[in-house]
This record gives sequence, C-alpha cells and structure tokens, in this order.
Amino acid sequence: MSLRVLSPVSGRTVSLTEVPDQVFAQALVGPGIAVHPDDAADALAPVDGTLATLHAHAFVVVAADGRGVLVHLGIDTVRMKGEGFTLHVVKGESVRAGQPVVRWDPKAVEAAGYSPLCPVVALDVSDDVLDISAAGEPVIAGTALFSWLT
Amino acid sequence: MAGADDRAARIVAALGGVDNIVEIEPCITRLRCELKDGSIVDEPALKATGAHGVLRSGSVVQVVVGPEADTIASDIEDLQ
Repeated sequence: MSLRVLSPVSGRTVSLTEVPDQVFAQALVGPGIAVHPDDAADALAPVDGTLATLHAHAFVVVAADGRGVLVHLGIDTVRMKGEGFTLHVVKGESVRAGQPVVRWDPKAVEAAGYSPLCPVVALDVSDDVLDISAAGEPVIAGTALFSWLT
Repeated sequence: MAGADDRAARIVAALGGVDNIVEIEPCITRLRCELKDGSIVDEPALKATGAHGVLRSGSVVQVVVGPEADTIASDIEDLQ
C-alpha cells in the first residue's frame, strides 16, 4: 500500500544532494527530499506511527507496517544540544500524521551557524520506491511531500 | 544475527580499540567518532558490521549505522 508522507514543515523543497551533510546527500540511510523551512513552527509527524527515535533535533516515526521515516531539523543541529527545541511528545509515543512533535525556530538554527534544511528520509529502501516531485517547489506542513510505494 | 553487544564490540575494534576513541556521539543515524588516530580505522570491518557508510575527515570518523545509533552508542559506552 502506498504511504503518503507529509511534510513536517512549511517551506521549499530541496534535493537531498544539496544538503551539506554527506550522510543525507549520498542517501546513505535512504532516499527522500529536504525542505528549506520558513519561520518558527511545530514540526509535524510525517506519517501515523510510533516515535521509535526521538531527539530534540530529529526523530523517526515507524508506521505499523514497519516503514520508518526520518525527519532531521537542520544540519549538525545535534550540537545545539536541544537548545531552542521544545518537544511535545515522548519517545515510544504513538502519533498521527500531522501531529506536532517539536517546536523549533529555523531562523535561530541559522543564526547559530547551522543549515536549517530538513531532510525527510525513507529509511533503508532504494529510491525507486518513492514518488517525489521535482525539488524547488513550495510545500505546506501537513500536506503530501512524497509517496512511498508498495 | 549477531547480538547488539557483539556489534558494538566489533565497531570498537574496527575503530582501533577503546584506547583510540576520544568520544562517540550518536546522532540518530550515525556515530560521530572522535579518534586519536583516524588513519587506523578498518573501514571494511566497519561495513561488515552492517554500517551503511563510513565518512572520514582526519580524526573524525562518522559511521552511518542507521536509526539504532543511540542503542549502539550506549552499548559501546558500556564497553569502555
């Protein structure tokens, strides 16, 4: 069944290859797309599922069928040690697609010297299972970012 | 499948052993490893533990292990 993956943030889509982090640019953990986010907002869960991993700056939601979607808020933001990120949920919690997970401010991330780009990655699959529109398009948080086929 | 502890031990060995590790910081998909000597890292051995990739930049070696990074990092901490 095709899984609709929602954008966690509003902004403009950017190809993963343009993300200044080789793990994402080379799709080492999986294919996907990045979003250059607008202003401070809640980052939303991309799919229904369980928060298998939860950091202030990144999280993984695993759907009931085992498919995992990674959302990373900014690049190298682990070094911000959670500052400026406010979690609304706890690890292991069930979330619905579109549910607020963490509040953050991309502008503050930029001001701290980090890229605010948000990679959204389908974990551990090849890129031919994703149906992704061309990058460079505006996207609104909570609307479809890509489809995960099969 | 090898146990988690075993995987952590093999990663430590491939990084040059406990003595070569300054700090390991997990970040959701990877272990960011600060080493004393980055040149002695055994990349094929790291890949053999199931790592998706290894990114090297001097004494900092990033081992891309997937979303179990947190668990593996705490297993490694237990070994140290």
